[in-house]
Amino acid sequence: MATHTGNKGTGTFIRQRVTGVINIVLVGFLIWLVVSLAGADRAQMVATFSHPLVWIPALVLIGAALVHMRIGMHEIILDYVHEPRLLALSTLLNTVFTVVIGIIAAISVLVLAFGG
Amino acid sequence: MAQQFRPTSPHLSIWRFTLTMSLSILHRILGVGLYLGTVLFVLWLGAAALGQSQLAAVQGFFGHPIIQIGLFLYTWTLFHHMAGGIKHFIWDVGAGFERTGREAITWATLVFSVLATLLVWALFVWF
Repeated sequence: MATHTGNKGTGTFIRQRVTGVINIVLVGFLIWLVVSLAGADRAQMVATFSHPLVWIPALVLIGAALVHMRIGMHEIILDYVHEPRLLALSTLLNTVFTVVIGIIAAISVLVLAFGG
Repeated sequence: MAQQFRPTSPHLSIWRFTLTMSLSILHRILGVGLYLGTVLFVLWLGAAALGQSQLAAVQGFFGHPIIQIGLFLYTWTLFHHMAGGIKHFIWDVGAGFERTGREAITWATLVFSVLATLLVWALFVWF
C-alpha cells in the first residue's frame, strides 16, 4: 500500500529524530523570537527578521517542525484509520495542511526579511 | 485480492494504565496540539507580512484572555512534548528502561515542563 511507511521505516525513524534534535536546539530561539516580538509593530518585526541570524533559523525551524509534525500525524493516522479510502484521504489532508502552513510561513518570513 | 482490513489488536481497552503508557498517549495528544497550533504562528506571521493594520487586528485577537490561556497551555505543550522527546532519545540508546528509571524520567518530564512553563511566563509575561 502506497500510503504505508513499511518500506521506508528506517528513513522515517531517522528523519523524525533528526528534526526532533533541530527543534530542541531551536526552541530557545523560538521563545526569544516570540517574547521579543510579542506586541511589536510591523517595523520592529521587519527590523528583527531582516537579520540573517533570525530569518535563517526561522526557516530552518519551520522546515524541521513541519517535517516532524507530518511524520507524527501520519503515524497516528496509520494507527487509527484503516479503511483504505479514508486512509488515503487523511494522508492527503495531512500533506496538504503541512504544505499550506509551510508556504504561508516561509513566504511571510521572507517578506518580513526582504520586503520590508 | 487480499483483504483490505488488516487485523488489529485491542490496546486501550485491555491494558492497565501505567504512568509511562499514559504519558506516551499524552505525548501524542500534545503533538496534535502543536500541529494545530501552527495555525496561530501562521496567523501572526502572515498578518505581519500583509501589513500593519492586519497585524494590529491579529494582536487584538492574541490579547484576548481565552487566547492567552491557550498560549499558556501551548507553552506547556511545547515544553512537555520536547521533554518527552528527550526521554525517547534516552530510551533510543537503551537506557532508562528499568522499573524505577523509566518512572523517574517520566516524572522528570512533567516536573521540567511545568517549571519551564511557569518560569518563561513569570519572566516574560507576568513580571
